[in-house]
Amino acid sequence: MQKKLITRPQKVKYKSSFREECRKTWVYIRHHPAMYLMLLPGLFFLFIYKLLPLYGIQIAFRNYQIFLGDNPIDAIAKSEWIGLAYFKRLFSSSQFFKVLRNTLVISSLKILFLFPFPIVCAVLLNEIHSKLYHRIVQTVIYIPYFFSWVLIYGVFYAIVGSYGVINTILTSLGGGRIDFLTDAAHFLGLIVFTEGWKETGYNTIIYLAAITAIDSTLYDAAKVDGAGKWKQIWHITLPGISSTIVLMLILRVGNILNAGFEQILVFYNPAVYNTADIIDTYVYRIGLGQMDFSLSSAMSLFNSLVAFLLIVGANTVSKKLTKRSIW
Amino acid sequence: MMQPRNNEKRELKRKKGSEKTIEIIACVFLTILCFLVLLPCLSVVSQAVSPGTDVMGGKVFFLPTGFQLETIGYVLTRTPFLRSLKNSLIVTAAGTFISVVTTILTAYPLSRPDFKGRTIITFLYVFSMIFFGGTIPAYMVVKTLGLIDTYAGMILPFAIVQFNMFMMKNYFEGLPGEVLESARVDGAGDMRTVVTIVCPMAKPVIATVTLLYAVCYWNNYFHAMLYTTSTEMQTLQVYLKNLIANIQGTLADITGSTGYSPNLTSDGLTAAAVTISIIPITLLYPFIARYLVSGITIGSVKG
Repeated sequence: MQKKLITRPQKVKYKSSFREECRKTWVYIRHHPAMYLMLLPGLFFLFIYKLLPLYGIQIAFRNYQIFLGDNPIDAIAKSEWIGLAYFKRLFSSSQFFKVLRNTLVISSLKILFLFPFPIVCAVLLNEIHSKLYHRIVQTVIYIPYFFSWVLIYGVFYAIVGSYGVINTILTSLGGGRIDFLTDAAHFLGLIVFTEGWKETGYNTIIYLAAITAIDSTLYDAAKVDGAGKWKQIWHITLPGISSTIVLMLILRVGNILNAGFEQILVFYNPAVYNTADIIDTYVYRIGLGQMDFSLSSAMSLFNSLVAFLLIVGANTVSKKLTKRSIW
Repeated sequence: MMQPRNNEKRELKRKKGSEKTIEIIACVFLTILCFLVLLPCLSVVSQAVSPGTDVMGGKVFFLPTGFQLETIGYVLTRTPFLRSLKNSLIVTAAGTFISVVTTILTAYPLSRPDFKGRTIITFLYVFSMIFFGGTIPAYMVVKTLGLIDTYAGMILPFAIVQFNMFMMKNYFEGLPGEVLESARVDGAGDMRTVVTIVCPMAKPVIATVTLLYAVCYWNNYFHAMLYTTSTEMQTLQVYLKNLIANIQGTLADITGSTGYSPNLTSDGLTAAAVTISIIPITLLYPFIARYLVSGITIGSVKG
């Protein structure tokens, strides 16, 4: 992770005039036309899928009727401009606060239970001396990271269903059957657990990489001073990866509005809408499901704006605290 | 004279003890973790190959109670599994190719310090990464372009993923500038420099980014579901989700066309579909794992 050795050309001492700059740029472009041609495919895709939709944000401020135009984009300009009406409707609806609350609750639960876990795993994995065992553990805990949410849903659907393994064990122990997929509280537990199941291995390896980067002479020095293993973990390993921990936490908190869209979309059902419907699933459901495009877009825009501010904020904090940033 | 040495020995023993304790704790903890990962998968596979009566009777835990491939056979032949597998393969192969080429071509100019226009174009990519236009407008664009029910529609969302592009750009920035300059002096055009010099030097990051894109295309459910309406175009993920959601209907269909069989059960069919969907990833996993570990160290976060 300690790469990034860019040597930028030294700033030109004299202040060149604007005309001079333009001339230089023109000379550069003439000499390197291929550099600009190379950018075209990327810019093409960026324009179509990332920038053109920005034009569609207007849907939130218009009474969007998809059939008014020749095509859905054309219909945007032909729909009536009604200003903030949809935002008013949104902010006065109980739905809005419910999905916002659900999003924050699910994200917080995930951070609370799943954030420290990979750190513990990485520290413990680092204490294993057998190379073979080390490799086996690393390989195994990492497998679910490559499973799609649908596949994970399939796996857990098979084992937590009313007659799945878990319930068979529960009843044989004298407990009652639990319907994890439709019981609200257990559903949230399932969401947090499956997220941990998928992501723990990956995050463990991030921390493990950070641990490997710690100067090993520190450990030798500690041994000479008579520090035991626990002391070494507490005074060398954890401080050594603290900047990675801080960075990961900041980024995770900056992404708090992202409670795991695809996961919940795949797992949830009407029985748990009350606690599991998050902003993204709500936008999808009322927008593309119920065709209430404008209200859905208003919610989506609110989400994008807040998420944008949070991420920019998180990145700024991260730059200050850890000197590292995502861009 | 003997007293201090004894103390020292005891001290050393205590330390060795604490070292052992922590290794034992680590072993137990991590072994449990491995079982937590493996047991659910094992249970599903067991349900897929155990006799249907045992599956419905709740007799299958983590090991098969018998062996039959009839259930898996039904899923392979009586449901559109193979067709959706084909769709997934096409989207993943074509998409990954397009994405990797686009990403390399974008990352190279943006990684050159003397490139004019670097700031503004980098800004476009950063901005679009952190500000999302929204699902609805993106859907309108795809619909307007007539890309619903096409492979192109499923590829478009990930044609260039900014995060991967920045990972590659960072790696390119770390390449020795003199080598690239000398190529330029030798009269190689920018395009040739990329193909003959940059790409061979950047193999690790290209492997990682290729992998990230492939996993992304293969695993994506939302876009593959949103941008397809016909069952003909379903990818594996959409197929699997629909199969599970409509398992009773599938069961009735198969029973209707082939007649009753004890191995035809809803739980068995679900487990069989999940099992055969796990297989492609498991086969490629050793290859995947190797590159991802190096990938995480390359650029999980810019540092």
